[in-house]
Amino acid sequence: MALTTEDVRKIATLARLRFTPEEEARFAGQLAKIVDYIDQLQTYEVAEANPGSHGVLEMEDVPHDCLPRERFLANAPASLDGFLLVLEVKGGGDA
Amino acid sequence: MPELWELSVEEIATRVRGREVSASEVLESCLDRTAKVEPLVAAYLEVFEDEARDRAAEIDRRLVAGEDVGPLAGVPLALKDNLSLDGHALTCGSRILAGYVAPYTATAVERLLAAGAVPLGRANMDEFAMGSSCENSAYQLTRNPWDLGTVPGGSSGGPAAAVAAGSVPLSFGSDTGGSIRQPAAMCGVVGVKPTYGRVSRYGLVAFASSTDQIGPIARNVRDSALALQVIAGADPNDATCATEPVGDYLGTIDEGIAGLKVGILREIDPAALSGATARNWRQSLDRLTAAGAELVEVSLPSLDAAVAIYYVIATSEASANLARFDGVRYGHRSETADNLLDLYFESRSEGFGAEVKRRIMLGTFALSSGYYEAYYGRARGVLERMRRELATAFETADVVATPTTPTAAFRLGEKVDDPLAMYLSDVFTTPASLVGLPTVAVPSGLDDDGLPLSLQIMGRPFDEATVFRASRAFEREAGFAVAPAFRSTFRESEAD
Repeated sequence: MALTTEDVRKIATLARLRFTPEEEARFAGQLAKIVDYIDQLQTYEVAEANPGSHGVLEMEDVPHDCLPRERFLANAPASLDGFLLVLEVKGGGDA
Repeated sequence: MPELWELSVEEIATRVRGREVSASEVLESCLDRTAKVEPLVAAYLEVFEDEARDRAAEIDRRLVAGEDVGPLAGVPLALKDNLSLDGHALTCGSRILAGYVAPYTATAVERLLAAGAVPLGRANMDEFAMGSSCENSAYQLTRNPWDLGTVPGGSSGGPAAAVAAGSVPLSFGSDTGGSIRQPAAMCGVVGVKPTYGRVSRYGLVAFASSTDQIGPIARNVRDSALALQVIAGADPNDATCATEPVGDYLGTIDEGIAGLKVGILREIDPAALSGATARNWRQSLDRLTAAGAELVEVSLPSLDAAVAIYYVIATSEASANLARFDGVRYGHRSETADNLLDLYFESRSEGFGAEVKRRIMLGTFALSSGYYEAYYGRARGVLERMRRELATAFETADVVATPTTPTAAFRLGEKVDDPLAMYLSDVFTTPASLVGLPTVAVPSGLDDDGLPLSLQIMGRPFDEATVFRASRAFEREAGFAVAPAFRSTFRESEAD
């Protein structure tokens, strides 16, 4: 199927990605080629999924220690008083 | 008398445990070798020189004190940059994780440390394990030690190149659609993708959760079996990790394959392989026969659909798994955003590279309203078909053999602008990933340009023991020696 730059823009919004017009055009071409290739799946027979294969551990539902807060926050771009710090939901420009 | 860096994993562990050599001596030999080859190959993003020295010295102290330090005593190894080691940088080859420090250690890595291994460095990879050439790393190009103008394969290109170059005798990568086997094949070393669920993924950064597996890369089959033995088995921290008992791989590995039924796929058309691969493939079949195997024809009619299924399912899962990189909890945060939604868009767009964006886009498309059934649903349906076809094949065959890759290593830059061409090099590795089968890639010879080729042997779920036994028998018959030439800019005199 043909993917337009409009399609690419719509998918990018869903994926929380933003592209320049040049990138949009390039991605439209590349993705269209890949999707064309994937379209061959329509010619194959399918079977119903049969979930579950190997045994897994069954564990008691008991609380246990998790990663200490300060270790987790050490990787945070910004934090305040033990919490993650983010921008306002309704800040300056539109998205 | 070989140098210590040339010794196998088994020899190193045996000699260190017997105190014939010290872990520190082995490490120094590997560090010396690394200093010589690394400027040419660039397999590492970081070498933990001081820490490795401390760890090796600690192992030596414990040995003097009479302690048993484990089956990998003093074995230096490289870890792909998506395996967590507490307190160490972990970037997945991506700018979006620049500055991230692992806050805990992956279960597989914990088991390696407990077995006496010495992590020597963090090895390069395609960004988020997406790629077949290591060229998608945001940080550096890694070169193939056999010919520095060719790719090492990917995504575990760094771990494979490090072993082939002699820097370490063992490394660990992750394999989602061929990311251990394909670089192992291109670098002339052994690569193992265990059964889905065989090895805990706790501490491995997720790409496609229905196929991701951690596995070893080594210079020979016995070493890779020993390494898998150490990391395999259930883990309370990974609910997808299997409780099936782990076999004694080395106990049966040298028993030979007299009478073993090796399935050969009817759908493999030698005319579709490169000339050298086709010749090598026929020769590999002769070698399996010479080792006593009985070749049986089996069928996988959906083989040609494998790449298409894989690139729908893996990208769909990746689009979900990589949603967590949003500039809030960890990783890159954009400086230019001025509200929360904008922060997600800008942080992701600045942090991810082109191939990762392409795959997130493809996966988002395949899961999007109006296309879900036609793409994701369809791919799942054809995958189930493939699972049944392979189950039928394994009713007649004990293992199934294919070439690992359709060609030897390609030139750096050759496929960078053609993502689909890059994806098609995964045709033989993706079925075992999709269906979750244990698979070993074993060097099978050289092509006309002196580049390694490889045979892939897959087995029934959790039957790693038989796959190792067949791989070992083939390895003996093939008599392949890992001796890369560092061609094109490297002089042999510089290597010694």
